[in-house]
Amino acid sequence: MALAARKIEPHMVPVALVIGGGIAGMQASLDIADKGFKVVLVEREPTIGGHMAQLDKTFPTLDCSSCILTPKMVEVGAHPKIELMTCSEVTDVQGEVGDFRVSIRKNPRYVDLNKCTGCNLCAEACVQRNRIPSEFDMGIGKRSAIYIPFPQAVPQKYVIDPNCCFMLTKGKCGKEPKCQKACGTNAIDFKQKEETITLQAGVIVVATGYDHFDAGLKPEYGYERYENVLSGIEFERLCSASGPTKGTIEINGKEVKRVVFVQCVGSRDKTVGNEYCSRVCCMYTIKQAHLIHEKIPDAKITICYMDVRAFGKGYEEFYDRVQREKVVFRRGNPSEIYKQGETLMVRGEDTLLGESYEEEADLVVLATGLVPRDDTQQVGKMLGLPHSSEGFFKEFETKETVATSREGIFLAGCCQSPKDIPDTVAQASGAAAMACIHLAKARTRGTES
Amino acid sequence: MKIGVYVCHCGINIAEHVDVKAVTDFAKGHPQVAIARDYTYMCSDPGQELIMRDIETEHLDRIVVAACSPTMHERTFRNVLSKSGLNPYFLEIANIREQCSWVHGDRGKATEKAKDLVSAAIAKAHLLEPLRSQEKGIIPTSLVIGGGIAGIQAALDIGASGFEVYLVEKNPVLGGHLIRLNRTFPHLEEAAQLIRPKIEAVLSHPNIHVMTLSEVKAIEGAIGNFTAEIRRMARYVDEDECDGCGECIEVCPVERMDNFDYGLKKHKAIYLPAPGGDTTTPVIDCASCLHFQDKSCDRCEKVCPKSAIHLARKEEVEKIDAGTIIVATGHDIFDATKKTELGYDQYDAVITAPQFERLTSPSGPTEGNLVIGGMVPKSIAFIHCVGSRDKSVGNEYCSRVCCTYTAKQALWTSKHLPDSEVTVFYIDVRTFGKGYEELYEEAQKRGVIYRKGVPSEIFRRGEKVVLRGEDALLGQPYEQGFDLAVLATGLVPSEGAQSLRALLKLPLSPDGFFMEVHPKLRPLDTAADGIFLAGTCQGPKDIADTLAQAHGAASRATTVLFQGKVAIDPVIAFIDEDICSGCGICEQVCEYAALNLDPYRRVMTINTALCKGCGACNSACPAGAISLRHFKPDQIMAQVHALCLGRGRQ
Repeated sequence: MALAARKIEPHMVPVALVIGGGIAGMQASLDIADKGFKVVLVEREPTIGGHMAQLDKTFPTLDCSSCILTPKMVEVGAHPKIELMTCSEVTDVQGEVGDFRVSIRKNPRYVDLNKCTGCNLCAEACVQRNRIPSEFDMGIGKRSAIYIPFPQAVPQKYVIDPNCCFMLTKGKCGKEPKCQKACGTNAIDFKQKEETITLQAGVIVVATGYDHFDAGLKPEYGYERYENVLSGIEFERLCSASGPTKGTIEINGKEVKRVVFVQCVGSRDKTVGNEYCSRVCCMYTIKQAHLIHEKIPDAKITICYMDVRAFGKGYEEFYDRVQREKVVFRRGNPSEIYKQGETLMVRGEDTLLGESYEEEADLVVLATGLVPRDDTQQVGKMLGLPHSSEGFFKEFETKETVATSREGIFLAGCCQSPKDIPDTVAQASGAAAMACIHLAKARTRGTES
Repeated sequence: MKIGVYVCHCGINIAEHVDVKAVTDFAKGHPQVAIARDYTYMCSDPGQELIMRDIETEHLDRIVVAACSPTMHERTFRNVLSKSGLNPYFLEIANIREQCSWVHGDRGKATEKAKDLVSAAIAKAHLLEPLRSQEKGIIPTSLVIGGGIAGIQAALDIGASGFEVYLVEKNPVLGGHLIRLNRTFPHLEEAAQLIRPKIEAVLSHPNIHVMTLSEVKAIEGAIGNFTAEIRRMARYVDEDECDGCGECIEVCPVERMDNFDYGLKKHKAIYLPAPGGDTTTPVIDCASCLHFQDKSCDRCEKVCPKSAIHLARKEEVEKIDAGTIIVATGHDIFDATKKTELGYDQYDAVITAPQFERLTSPSGPTEGNLVIGGMVPKSIAFIHCVGSRDKSVGNEYCSRVCCTYTAKQALWTSKHLPDSEVTVFYIDVRTFGKGYEELYEEAQKRGVIYRKGVPSEIFRRGEKVVLRGEDALLGQPYEQGFDLAVLATGLVPSEGAQSLRALLKLPLSPDGFFMEVHPKLRPLDTAADGIFLAGTCQGPKDIADTLAQAHGAASRATTVLFQGKVAIDPVIAFIDEDICSGCGICEQVCEYAALNLDPYRRVMTINTALCKGCGACNSACPAGAISLRHFKPDQIMAQVHALCLGRGRQ
């Protein structure tokens, strides 16, 4: 449908609701807020930043991910037109374009946002300090029960994990909770309760992102059995200078010398129900191979692939560069990975050589694909959005990836389908443009608050 | 002068490798430092309040914050100063995180370095001058250059947002490459169904002024206030007077190859610009029309029963003002004659993929019947990566669309010519988008054979064209004859956009496409404020990605229009006209075209809206006539002296 043919809304609340605070939601929020409209950005986690915050370097320019992301996070956090709600989930949406009525559940953080200075004394004092696997570090690093997901988190406020904190699970923690004693501003409040607030919004941008494919669903790759078989995102944390190993690529204290990457794990694979290509794995694998080569120049690196899909700007050039770094590209994904002594054996058929191979490895990295969020169905039902056959939200028409079948609700980023960062950012700006076309109607009527 | 120094721990980010207390005590020792404090997170609300309280009670004049990079929190702390009634530029940041604690392991030495950086910041703080940013009004209009799908969509979005748009297209019709496609991937929908409603919407939108047969000839100004000169080629056939009878075309003696059908069909010099398209009014191709060679012919003008043809008409130049500009100039198609080994210019049975689109399109020269040399081909080869991923022609990059459009064309062929044998020769199959892998799969299921290894040559044997190459999977050479070979020609930078590039001073990526300012987080912005990119002018991309990007470019371009004003950063260069000799060296180093020679006074002038304060000109000026506000020579030398003193201390 052409835009001009769309009906004129009788009423337009000049507020945009953005669901999800990853790079897509952040970009959409900034683009809308910079135009002078109010944005309510709702993020389930205690911080914005999403998956991009977890990445080490970005392809193909090898920019440090958090270095380029953090200023944007700070901008979102400080924007006078953006109301940031972390630890919050949209639970209900009624109404229609111009006047959506939205219910948001604010989960308790157990830390007063206004009082916490982010000083870290509570986390240092926590009796479970460095005992709880950090979600941000994909379980490779450890955190306390009261924690900040990562140093650059926005807001710079601590949060208590209700599933681990002794006060919240058992009602007591020693004689008195040490975090509370350590806190200089009396910011910790175990009595915080979840609350539900309601608000009105004229438009909604859905930017709920993706999940990583669970490599355990490919048991032949031994992901759950062997500690030196990692997923792509786990490798990012292992490789990151700010990660749990400070960027040294070690397994059990030993530097790895033989690394095999396996492409298309959970993508282009009907046996796990994912026929689609995840669009980023080829490039992130090539980047990861380069990072190993940089850190361990004598490491033997092999990438097992089906097709190398280096399609974006500067990607083919980067692929070429990494080939010249003596990274071996072997066509043919392995059929199984098993252990012989301490060494991993990667077995498959090289379709170019027409013969089988067995490669020894100290580390295998599985290029795990991008899958729809596990709550896509539920969120889709709440918003009245259908999903496509592969499970991501369905765009309005094949080529209109931003609009949905519901007027006033737009898609940004990987919730629509896998895509890399520049494509996500471009699409998020696109969602903002579409949202502002509606919001502008409130403006022209002079009802902007 | 009273200076306050604030040293941040940044949790443990700084404190782990820098002795923050020692740095604070060191700062206290400076004679003009009235107060020095450390705090865990200076950027937190309590940290900011700490500074505000001190400014009020201690009457501080200058503030030094030793913390993270100024790109992170300079704005935060400038706001703190503003709120306290101080000029926001009375702030100096000492970066003791990115440039100190994060990169040094030795706590002792890192602490010493942090002290040096704080010393230097204090030394500069003395000399800081008050600066004020200015605001300028804007023209609430956008100029969109290029009338393909990207430009059309961007124009629609801007128009729908309530702003005026000028959509400038050099061809006589809108629609770009897309209007010439038969079907689109992955669902084989008719391309016309996608593009025609959008063209109609753009033509009928009250906010959008469409200028076809028009080119941007000059641009000046800066974000918020650009002025463009548009050359409007004469439309020799009046659209209002012409009734589309076609008699003019009948009498025209000139025949020439036509661009619209990619050279598949001959056209007259006066012709319908888009067969089956939106207009029944012919246009004249001046390059081949005899009248415009030697005035030897005016038959069309004479024959026209409506007297709608006016060969004496002249081109016009129109000036338009716009606040922002979107560049959507698209791409060209790789010239397959450059791959002589593939025989494109030798054999009729070797065609390009765009030609295949025209041959299968109902509006094409054969009305959608795929006929080659009078025969319906029985065996068809599709060849990937012609002009892409090929350093021998200078194109290392992947064209991003050819794999999937080939899958589409192969599938179309297997559906419409069920008896044909279809083989695709590939390097990698890059069907990465939503529904693309499924399309590839469907083509394979319908019997399309995929063979890894593109041919190294194509030659003729009897009635067939023979492809010779190596099958990488079988590890064997092949020689296979076909009735038709279709070359999946890649996308290359637009030749016609090069003059525009020069006008806008846009930088290019190594692949020759326009360069975005940041490849990850600012894919739509250019180095010039107020100028944005949409579509394939930035790099090859498919329709879905182009549309997403076009919406995005519209968002970027309307931000300043919604704001209604632009702020001019005061941290920019300024010229001492008494010293400037007008030598123009600065003009050559300026990336932003902010410097111009005043021809009367023979001195350089700075366009404050364009200057970004990068510092290139002031360091290039041989006479020292240019300085950069906030980074003036005395301010920088004071920092250098302080750092040298620091070295002496150790």
